Amino acid sequence: SKGFSMESFSPGLDTPIACYDALLQELIVIDDLLSCLVGIEGRYVSIKRVRGNEDCISFQIDASMDLALQESAKRIFPLCESYLLVYQFVESRSQFKAGLVNHAFAAALRALLLDYQAMVAQLEHQFRLGRLSIQGLWFYCQPMMGSMQALSIVIKKASAKSIVGSALLNLLQSQAKAMAGDHVVRSLLEKMIQSASSAYLVILERWVYEGVIDDPHGEFFIAEDKSLQKESLSQDYDAKYWRQRYSLKDEIPSFLASAAETILTTGKYLNVMRECGHTIQVPMSENTKLMSSGSSHHYLECIKAAYEFSSSELLNLIKEKYDLMGKLRSIKHYLLLDQGDFLVHFMDIARDELIKRPDEISVEKLQSLLELALRTTAAAADPFHEDLTCCVERTTLLKRLSTLKDLKFSGTVSEKDDVDEPVNITGMDTYSLSYKVQWPLSLVISRKALTKYQLIFHFLFHCKHVNRQLCEAWQIHQGIRALNMKGTAVSVSSLLCRSMLKFINSLLHYLTFEVLEPNWHVMHNRLLGAKSIDEVIQYHDFFLDKCLRECLLLSPVLLMKMEKLKSICLQYAAVTQWLITSSIDIPKTDAQSNTSHETKKSKPIKRRNPSQKLKLASEDRSLVEPILTFEKDFTSQLRSLRPILSSSAQAEPYLTHLAQLILGVGRDQ
Amino acid sequence: FGNLVKEECEVSEEVLVRDVLYASQGIDGKFVKFDKSVDGYVLAESVRVPRATRIMVRKVCELGWLFRKVKGYVSETVKSLAAEDVGTVGQAFCAALQDELTEYYKLLAVLEAQSMNPIPSVTESVSSGNYLSLRRLSVWFAEPMVKMRLMALLVDNCKVLKGGAMAGAIHMHAQHGDPIVHDFMKRLLRRVCSPLFEMVRTWVLEGELEDIFMEFFVLGQPVKAESLWTEGYQLRSAMLPSFISQSLAHRILRTGKSINFLRVCCKDRSWADAATEAAAVTGTTTRRGGLGYGETDALESLVTEAARRIDKHLMDVVYRQYKFKEHCLAIKRYLLLGQGDFVQYLMDIVGPELSEPANTISSFKLAGLLESAIRSSSAQYDDPDILDRLRVKMMPHNIGDRGWDVFSLEYDARVPLNTLFTESVMTKYLRIFNFLWKLRRVEHALIGVWKTMKPNSIAFTKLPEAVKLQLILASRRCQVLWDEMNHFITNLQYYIMFEVLEVSWSNFSSEMEAAKDLDDLLAAHEKYLHSIVEKSLLGERSQSLYKTLFVLLDLVLRFRSHADRLYEGVNELQARTVESSLPSRDKPNRQSSKKTPVPGS
Repeated sequence: SKGFSMESFSPGLDTPIACYDALLQELIVIDDLLSCLVGIEGRYVSIKRVRGNEDCISFQIDASMDLALQESAKRIFPLCESYLLVYQFVESRSQFKAGLVNHAFAAALRALLLDYQAMVAQLEHQFRLGRLSIQGLWFYCQPMMGSMQALSIVIKKASAKSIVGSALLNLLQSQAKAMAGDHVVRSLLEKMIQSASSAYLVILERWVYEGVIDDPHGEFFIAEDKSLQKESLSQDYDAKYWRQRYSLKDEIPSFLASAAETILTTGKYLNVMRECGHTIQVPMSENTKLMSSGSSHHYLECIKAAYEFSSSELLNLIKEKYDLMGKLRSIKHYLLLDQGDFLVHFMDIARDELIKRPDEISVEKLQSLLELALRTTAAAADPFHEDLTCCVERTTLLKRLSTLKDLKFSGTVSEKDDVDEPVNITGMDTYSLSYKVQWPLSLVISRKALTKYQLIFHFLFHCKHVNRQLCEAWQIHQGIRALNMKGTAVSVSSLLCRSMLKFINSLLHYLTFEVLEPNWHVMHNRLLGAKSIDEVIQYHDFFLDKCLRECLLLSPVLLMKMEKLKSICLQYAAVTQWLITSSIDIPKTDAQSNTSHETKKSKPIKRRNPSQKLKLASEDRSLVEPILTFEKDFTSQLRSLRPILSSSAQAEPYLTHLAQLILGVGRDQ
Repeated sequence: FGNLVKEECEVSEEVLVRDVLYASQGIDGKFVKFDKSVDGYVLAESVRVPRATRIMVRKVCELGWLFRKVKGYVSETVKSLAAEDVGTVGQAFCAALQDELTEYYKLLAVLEAQSMNPIPSVTESVSSGNYLSLRRLSVWFAEPMVKMRLMALLVDNCKVLKGGAMAGAIHMHAQHGDPIVHDFMKRLLRRVCSPLFEMVRTWVLEGELEDIFMEFFVLGQPVKAESLWTEGYQLRSAMLPSFISQSLAHRILRTGKSINFLRVCCKDRSWADAATEAAAVTGTTTRRGGLGYGETDALESLVTEAARRIDKHLMDVVYRQYKFKEHCLAIKRYLLLGQGDFVQYLMDIVGPELSEPANTISSFKLAGLLESAIRSSSAQYDDPDILDRLRVKMMPHNIGDRGWDVFSLEYDARVPLNTLFTESVMTKYLRIFNFLWKLRRVEHALIGVWKTMKPNSIAFTKLPEAVKLQLILASRRCQVLWDEMNHFITNLQYYIMFEVLEVSWSNFSSEMEAAKDLDDLLAAHEKYLHSIVEKSLLGERSQSLYKTLFVLLDLVLRFRSHADRLYEGVNELQARTVESSLPSRDKPNRQSSKKTPVPGS
């Protein structure tokens, strides 16, 4: 309601200008032009607007006027048009919703317009004193002419796209560069840029120095996604929080473009510290004020200083107060199985629970067993041991790997292992540990990292399980060693048992000593030297990826083979235990009647009475068959491993180690 | 040209300028008048002037239109001031506007003087220095125009608001990129917010609500002393200015609440020292007018400092003077049966009384028994103040209730501790007590059974052989059953007393140490109670379990009465055999009646 329309007036006076003589005509035209210069129609000059297009304005002069005067007046019209454009722009962009950059730019323009108006008032004074001719007017308008022209070009572009914030700054920058030839225009535009960006720099300053986005109009080039909470890090597999909570927008002011990433991370670090309840502010002094200087070099210096301060501060916080290394070490104890006594104890006490089907397992019971194992072994000394929890997955390792798409687990075999999913999976196949990680450590040990740890754990745990089963089988073999059984099924089986043990032991050796330990130490050393939290995250992720790859978890072909071998071993162990105990049960029963309670199996066997040998021999046929089948399976699987290993060893050198360790067995046989 | 100009214009430019100056003060001039139909000051149509002049006049007169609006608001406010209708923030806003207008008047006065100088014309040159033409006027008016527009905008947007909401709305407009606007708004806000900040200051340092016009974001309600903390004061979110964060507002609320709590409930005077200290530390004096807008940091540090000290003082008072910890411990010892000898003795002496029907029991007698239980256990060495608060409470009873069902102990918290031990908290304690008491009672009953069973195990000697064998069998079964029951009850009790109560208590005491303010303490206490209730199976989730438990406990009690009757019968039988050496007929009946509960358990 405040705007005034200027079109509702009747066109000029009735008297045509041609009635007056040239001198008088000049005076009238000058008076009219003085009005026109501030955007008001005069007696014989009118403004023509195109409906619907605010930017398209043209001035028109009475055609009956003296031609020379007409031409002189027309020379001045572009200035009047520019003025009107700029004026309209200022009016529209001062409104609240236009954004801080627009406000500041409009304010700078308004100051310029005020100068301009003052000039017009001066000209009027000259005119009233009778000292102004139309030629003089033209002369006096010259200084303004160029700058107003340049501004009107910029403004036309700005209002055509109705841009805000950094886009406007960018436009101004590019225009300043484009018009750099004209010294006056360039310095004018630079002044405009400076005043327009001052509001922007205040936002930047708060972000870089305090980690706060104080941006009422959404102009800043960093966007905050408030829906992402830091708690999500412990659930969200993709670890979106760290990457997407704060993100760069498309429009970045070009003078900050090179430092944008740095600016983003600086504020992010400050934010993390604030979320930890650790209020920190980058120390500020006068010369680090971003607004105070013009050169972009200075900004970059300040930003760099702030970045270095905040990153070192955050790194200290995480390393010292939240003890990152201790936590990682503790995770290694449990998830990478370097704490031997804990694991053995746990597997002993949790055995009965773990051989159930996954849906019959009581997680609570496992948890309490886990706690028991933690408390009674050396793990009790670890301050973080209470963060360990356990969980039972629904699927086996292979299936899980194929569901995690981004691990580059190649999909060639994944279709097949849907079929391959064994029906009788037990808790041993699906059990896995989990670890509670609190903010801000969840930045480094995110859900994703933890999943990777779990995958490795899974594999290791299962290998250990196979190892234990084979050991038991071996024990049984040891128990009947005293019996002379050369050439019988038992001796064949004993040999097979040993080669299987060798295989699984070499595999475990490879996984722990050749892969996990050295890589962990490399990571440990790199972490000690890390300079920022991003580096820490990067090193940690690199370590995990490398371990995953070297633990064969990323090559489905090898992994399938390994699983196959392990399952043969497990079946063999189960069958052997049953076979041998059943075969020696026969002498045991008749021995029992002879001697009173002889619990050990070895004792009755020692008395080699002929009837017993006879029975064993008769059983032998049926015993040898399955064991020979196992042996055949096992060796053929092992052999088939060789071409795969040797073919891929060139691409991945770590496989040669594995081949040496495991296939040594194959050559021996 | 001069003639031409004169001919075109009925009125000279000087007159017009003067008229415009009037119009810009909201006064109708001779030619320039307010026109309702176009809603603005215009040059009367009848006056013949060039088109340019007419437009110029209209443009310049926009200022007058804006002025009218602002002035209208100001004078309206001043008028309703008498009716005590305007809040202090509104008054401050008005005063600030008034000041800005004064500045404007000053400018107008200067211009007025200049407008007296004649305007030189092209033809007749009059030498005059500072004359005022319409064009010059528009230059002069450029800056006031910006400010006046802003003021008019504020008046439009904030007219209906008041208090904190008004300050917040003005603050929203202050986020402007134009440096002039920014400075102007800062100056304005400094004025507008000062009453608000003053309220915060008095509230935080003195606990007074100086809020006649309901402008402050803390709302006080007259309530009883015990609910002062929970209900007495609330945040009024509508009045919370956007520049004060929610957490800061909560801290402000709590600080003042603490002061009031100290003053009303604790009858404490020394909090003033803490407040003065806090003010001294933050550098602002306790006198009025220390804070302003834009010094949110200063405000925050003042609030933080005051909150820290007041809270610390409050915690001191609660812990030292009112011995919160001791009372909690006492409740744990008496209501949660932590003091074993006392409970045992109470059970012993109160037991026979409680077996009577509920309506025949006199609570006076029970109170006496409680007193004697205190006297004769080591509870007598406890603080008399604590013992004094321990009462017997009879719950309302139904027909057929026994004394056991209605008896309970009660702890009288008194002001100010009843803020912490509220009604609902006490009912929770009562529920826990009832459960524990029941458990104790069952245990007691089992011990009683054992007492009757023990001497009898060897006393069947004088009976005939067949009966003796049967009786020995029955009594063995009783023994086995008793053993099972005892095992169950002991373990349950062990779980409740050690795994639940002690663990919760130790958590609670460490949280009590860490608590910084009363809210923390309340939360910790609530958590403590909740954990007890949940873990001792009284919670919502374990209702079915709780019911089963009660069936079991009742079964034990029934077992007791049956066993008592059995052994009574055996004794009788024995006595009769001694007399007549004849076996009784009714014995198997009793045995079968005894056996009924056995399979159920």
